[in-house]
Amino acid sequence: MEDCNVHSAASILASVKEQEARFERLTRALEQERRHVALQLERAQQPGMVSGGVGGGQPLPMAWQQLVLQEQSPGSQASLATMPEAPDVLEETVTVEEDPGTPTSHVSVVTSEDGTTRRTETKVTKTVKTVTTRTVRQVPLGPDGLPLLDGGPPLGPFADGALDRHFLLRGGGPVATLSRAYLTSGGSFPEGPEPRDGPSYGSLSRGLGMRPPRAGPLGPGPGDGCFTLPGHREAFPVGPESGPPGGRSLPERFQAEPYGLEDDTRSLAADDEGGPELEPDYGTATRRRPECGRGLHTRAYEDAADDGSELLGERPAFSAVTAPLAQPERGSLGSLDRLVRRSPSVDSARKEPRWRDPELPEVLAMLRHPVDPVKANAAAYLQHLCFENEGIKRRVRQLRGLPLLVALLDHPRAEVRRRACGALRNLSYGRDTDNKAAIRDCGGVPALVRLLRAARDNEVRELVTGTLWNLSSYEPLKMAIIDHGLQTLTHEVIVPHSGWEREPNEDSKPRDAEWTTVFKNTSGCLRNVSSDGAEARRRLRECEGLVDALLHALQSAVGRKDTDNKSVENCVCIMRNLSYHVHKEVPGADRYQEAEPGPLGSAVGSQRRRRDDASCFGGKKAKEEWFHQGKKDGEMDRNFDTLDLPKRTEAAKGFELLYQPEVVRLYLSLLTESRNFNTLEAAAGALQNLSAGNWMWATYIRATVRKERGLPVLVELLQSETDKVVRAVAIALRNLSLDRRNKDLIGSYAMAELVRNLRNAQSPPRPGAHLEEDTVVAVLNTIHEIVSDSLDNARSLLQARGVPALVALVASSQSVREAKAASHVLQTVWSYKELRGTLQKDGWTKARFQLAATTTKGPKGAPSPGGFDDSTLPLVDKSLEGEKTGSRDVIPMDALGPDGYSTVDRRERRPRGTCSAGEASEKEPLKLDPSRKAPPPGPSRPTVRLVDAVGDAKPQPVDSWV
Amino acid sequence: PTPLPGQDVAPQRVEIHKLRQGENLILGFSIGGGIDQDPSQNPFSEDKTDKGIYVTRVSEGGPAEIAGLQIGDKIMQVNGWDMTMVTHDQARKRLTKRSEEVVRLLVTRQSLQKAVQQSMLS
Repeated sequence: MEDCNVHSAASILASVKEQEARFERLTRALEQERRHVALQLERAQQPGMVSGGVGGGQPLPMAWQQLVLQEQSPGSQASLATMPEAPDVLEETVTVEEDPGTPTSHVSVVTSEDGTTRRTETKVTKTVKTVTTRTVRQVPLGPDGLPLLDGGPPLGPFADGALDRHFLLRGGGPVATLSRAYLTSGGSFPEGPEPRDGPSYGSLSRGLGMRPPRAGPLGPGPGDGCFTLPGHREAFPVGPESGPPGGRSLPERFQAEPYGLEDDTRSLAADDEGGPELEPDYGTATRRRPECGRGLHTRAYEDAADDGSELLGERPAFSAVTAPLAQPERGSLGSLDRLVRRSPSVDSARKEPRWRDPELPEVLAMLRHPVDPVKANAAAYLQHLCFENEGIKRRVRQLRGLPLLVALLDHPRAEVRRRACGALRNLSYGRDTDNKAAIRDCGGVPALVRLLRAARDNEVRELVTGTLWNLSSYEPLKMAIIDHGLQTLTHEVIVPHSGWEREPNEDSKPRDAEWTTVFKNTSGCLRNVSSDGAEARRRLRECEGLVDALLHALQSAVGRKDTDNKSVENCVCIMRNLSYHVHKEVPGADRYQEAEPGPLGSAVGSQRRRRDDASCFGGKKAKEEWFHQGKKDGEMDRNFDTLDLPKRTEAAKGFELLYQPEVVRLYLSLLTESRNFNTLEAAAGALQNLSAGNWMWATYIRATVRKERGLPVLVELLQSETDKVVRAVAIALRNLSLDRRNKDLIGSYAMAELVRNLRNAQSPPRPGAHLEEDTVVAVLNTIHEIVSDSLDNARSLLQARGVPALVALVASSQSVREAKAASHVLQTVWSYKELRGTLQKDGWTKARFQLAATTTKGPKGAPSPGGFDDSTLPLVDKSLEGEKTGSRDVIPMDALGPDGYSTVDRRERRPRGTCSAGEASEKEPLKLDPSRKAPPPGPSRPTVRLVDAVGDAKPQPVDSWV
Repeated sequence: PTPLPGQDVAPQRVEIHKLRQGENLILGFSIGGGIDQDPSQNPFSEDKTDKGIYVTRVSEGGPAEIAGLQIGDKIMQVNGWDMTMVTHDQARKRLTKRSEEVVRLLVTRQSLQKAVQQSMLS
């Protein structure tokens, strides 16, 4: 790019000048036309054009004018008549070029090419084609300019307006230009220093190098007003969608989005799946896809062409309105832009009056214009202005533009509603929550929902749901969306698109879900609102058909092995959130409670005992036997079966489906199949939530995971390179180990992986593989859980060489929580007298185990360097310790009860960087840790030494590197 | 008592090209077990009396991992030498012969899933 910049500087300059000249002509032509039309309304087309003198003597001006029409008209009708935007178009188009993957921007290239006047002249003969060209543009072929030119039928009702007639009348001149531009985009290449880069680069460089950010009255500052590259850059990396729908090879694709789950990006930006399907979105679509940026713009403008013709039809009124804008440019944003953009000399050379862009207040005023197309154009233009421009968005709010737009959502004309909604979608997107609040304050949510109910047009439905998705990221709006929109979203979108049928036709096979954009947007919206706390969960659970439909959609996804897309992710996240605290929150949950709430340790104990009585579950004795006697296992299985699921008189439905053991298979399938890390995390989180709690269903879930061969699936995911997946799986395993048999199995087969994660926490196997504190603590807590009350599992920990890893972690971790959790595991290990011999044989002294505990427990900040000496550390008996509060900090089960294991989709609760404190109770309670404020223990201590010491002390090679 | 049959697992051949690290040739994995070790502490064996040599760790990106060796693999042979009845140190020496740049292992591997499955079903 840089090179191109340099090389093509001359050509850029030339093209700038040419554009300037072209613009001048265009301006003149437009002005004349405007006057003409205003004066001779009746005869506007024919005599006007002919006698107007614009095109009369000179074919060129005419050509230019038409060309402009093409470019501009798509953007907004207003711009056609009043705001020559060609320069903007060119620039934005240019931006597109930068994305290597998109060949779409050819159109724009052509446009820039058009700057060359001479060529235009040469091809005067193709008059007829001009008409065709125009028509073609309306074909929603997409950003690729060339195809667009070839005619399809005009899309809109406006297509055959005065414009066409203009074209025809004007004859060959304009036509020729157009076709040349579009068809011969390649022709321009030779002119550039680097043929390969061609016009696109030329324009690109202009965009990058020569066009400063807008600094006009609308632009708050540099960068803010820039619609081009920077904006795209910032916005799109955020969205996970921008990448190809990838697999594990593209982990970043699924990383948490800075904006939380909100995914506003999506509404603006590309769809992962649906490149082509985006085309119908005019204004927005353009901006949506980073790759197609320019192409999009082009499209937007083309689109406007339809409107443009309509506009022309409305001329009388329009001209009156727009007259002020026809003034010579002065201080408007557009002119500023132009000034900055072009070399001063060229600019100053022109003294004729110019069209200018309307200023923001004028655009907003047009929203109230009596003529509908003006409203629509103004809204479309607003959408364009607001794209990726926080400054403009703010000003629209300050100028009270949002209520105007919201009011237009109920406008009788579809076009107006559509444009207004498009503007609202852009306005509702972004970190700035004030616009979201303002939309709510003027009744935007119910208005959008009304529009969704009324709209049959798919594009409008996409716009509405996209806007609602944007709004749903803002906490204070979530309940409003539930109040006004839950029913509609469920019944208008989720249920029909999910394929679920209330009364399935027994003859036909079940319908599959349709992953439409509308469904994706809607599920994203519900995903966001589902994290709004207990009341939100209750409302969603009890919304008739919602859970059924989500479940059906997910089953359909699994059935079709199509589990990586965003819609699936959204659905799983909703399910996960709705599964949170089911054992407390669903109606009638009391009936299923299994144990008294209380200190979890005892609760688990009693639960376990009861199960032992009933079915030989668990119990240390049973467990030891299990390892050695197959016969016993058979017996246990039988008993398990008898304990199995209660008889149902009728099929489960609604929220009951959330915790039926049947869902286990679904989540396990997702965990096996999906390569979307967010989906993996959510599916593991759902199992985690369902296996928490002391109610009957959690018991069944835990057993069912085992029966369905889920443990190996989960253990394998401990190897995931994605931190949050490891975390969710670790916590799920911990909950699952409340089942004694699960505990034994997990102890045997997951220990190596758990310990490996500990080692990775200290020395990441590769850069960027760092495990977050939460994850390390989760792994440690899981280890603690499975070694507690299980000598064999503690032994497994030793075998997996967990002790050195734990000791090193205690000694070297920068995190108090990690060190503390690790030290608790060590204490538990030491509490097994049977293991002490082995430990001592390996060179360990009890000091290491006890030191860890005291270090983290004591308020003393910096343990003495020699802290590993026995003398400095009082031994704390494990049992004694266990009775104190100390151990509870690390083992939330004790303090919090089983609920401590549940989590909701936490990312959702942090919309765009804000972490609302009110949500704290909903967050993963595992982190409760009173001593968290203690300074990290001896961060300066040399880790290496400790590890070495461990190795040296080992008397006998249990394990040798080769 | 050996409730968990492991015999049905087909042995696999793994060929590891040693990596030179300074003076040493390394394989990039570690072994546990041997007839002189306590077999009950082997976390990877199904039969806790099995005194065989097991792969206990595999360094990431190392020759063994590249060759496909996995944690928990039981080493049956090294370059044709039996490894099921050797001491830990014999096994180590057999693997680390300086004269051999390539070792061919015969290993049995029980997939985790299978192991768990068996333990649940048996």
